[in-house]
Amino acid sequence: MARMVTGQLGAEGPYWDGLAKGRLVLPRCNGCGKWHWPAVWRCGDCGSWDHEWVEQPLAGTIFAWTRTHHRFAGTEGLALPYVTALVLLDAVPIRLNGLIEGSEEHLGIGAPVTGRTTFTQFGKDEIPSIRWMLA
Amino acid sequence: MTMNLSGKTAVAGVGYRQFKRGTAPWPERGVLVRAIVDACDDAGFDPADIDGFVSYAGDHNEPVRLMPDLGTKELNWSAQVWGGGGGGIAGTFGLAASAILTGQAKAVIIYRALAEGNSGRLAAAVMAHHLNDHMVGVGMVAPAQACAMRAERLLDYHGVPRSVCEELVRASYFHGSRNPEATAYGKELDLAQFRTARWIAEPFRLFDCSRENDGAGALLMVSSEAARDLRKPPVKLLSVAQGTQKGWGDLLENDNIELFATGGFRGITDKLYKMAGLTPADIDVVQLYENFSAQGIASLIDHGFCTYENVAEVVRYENLIAPSGRLPVNTSGGNLAHGFVHGIGTAVEAIRCLRRESVNPVPGARTCLLAGGPGAPTVSSAIFGVD
Ligand SMILES: [Zn+2]
Repeated sequence: MARMVTGQLGAEGPYWDGLAKGRLVLPRCNGCGKWHWPAVWRCGDCGSWDHEWVEQPLAGTIFAWTRTHHRFAGTEGLALPYVTALVLLDAVPIRLNGLIEGSEEHLGIGAPVTGRTTFTQFGKDEIPSIRWMLA
Repeated sequence: MTMNLSGKTAVAGVGYRQFKRGTAPWPERGVLVRAIVDACDDAGFDPADIDGFVSYAGDHNEPVRLMPDLGTKELNWSAQVWGGGGGGIAGTFGLAASAILTGQAKAVIIYRALAEGNSGRLAAAVMAHHLNDHMVGVGMVAPAQACAMRAERLLDYHGVPRSVCEELVRASYFHGSRNPEATAYGKELDLAQFRTARWIAEPFRLFDCSRENDGAGALLMVSSEAARDLRKPPVKLLSVAQGTQKGWGDLLENDNIELFATGGFRGITDKLYKMAGLTPADIDVVQLYENFSAQGIASLIDHGFCTYENVAEVVRYENLIAPSGRLPVNTSGGNLAHGFVHGIGTAVEAIRCLRRESVNPVPGARTCLLAGGPGAPTVSSAIFGVD
């Protein structure tokens, strides 16, 4: 069961619900077909309020990354150092952050990854989140 | 009807007090009141006649609470620029100018105050503004990490040499080491120490990161006409631009692919230069808000001083230092080596350098660009000038 810090801030409720159940779902505008991230209630391009949440595979390539060495408050649940990678999904033009697990040998921009869903401990909270693994 | 505000308002006084983080001798408001009175003394202006106030980044000191100390007769106008980081710093001058030129206020104080005992750690406050489960779920809880990720792409994907970050930091410390007000006073950068300092978030080591101070800065702004009657030579606001463009902002790291590794200024720099009728080649000195070294580089690129291709030719230590460099940057030491009171020191130095009051003078300087906080969802920059 997810326990969130800030919870839903915009229109991304189905994303959190999906992630907590092990599925990645992302929104596509039914008016113009645009994939929106962050999620929107209204498509700023075509004005449609109608969006469809579509399941997507957790696969992509690393767009940017950082390896954190400093113990920032709140991250005590993560062993230092840890790598956070921003991944451009293969299937849709959306980037999602996740922690890297497993070997970091091939870490770099452009490196292919696959992912899984899990929960990240943050203080007393358990945040639905993505883990990426380098191929 | 549009009115160009260029040259119609001026900064007439500055005040700045800085202490080691956590050591301010008074609560935050006490430091601020002193900085404001310093700015008024500098200008030869009665603090009781200030009738407007503007700050940025969620400053906690509501203007109305300053009135008893300042003897304020009328509070006619107060405002704050949106945003949690330093992106709004230069935008305050635009707001102040708008208030003055539309008759809403006559004398406006632009300010920022910070004391850890009152407002806690700045980094934590900035992050609290942006924090969400998308970030904490992946261990991203500090501005350093968010900026590090963009820096990695700037350096690796866009091919900006890592050495230019070192050149910028060295120049900041050269200036700071000569500034008695600076945290780095008497200490030039030890390159071996810089290169081996502990990692914070790759590619940033300790000295790539600005470190917080307690303190407050205040700048008194009036019409250029009114400024002529005050004690110091007026430093005119030649232009200011604030905002962002589609494809940049608070977008869960989904900024436009070409904008991702920038400082976020590309949507405002054309307006900035056009209002002043200037080009980057006309800028004599730059006060650059560098929360982190690479973001300072990205900002210089965004503002047209160099490109991904020629950045290493321009961002050289010798070129960045006063008095001899062609593009002196952060003549007080900047956020990295002067001190970091959420960047207000860079605004104060923009005025001092054009008044020939900088401890690192730039001979003949007539224009100074103040580049606001890079990487913020909304950014701002300003150009100041003297006749
Ligand atoms: Zn649409």
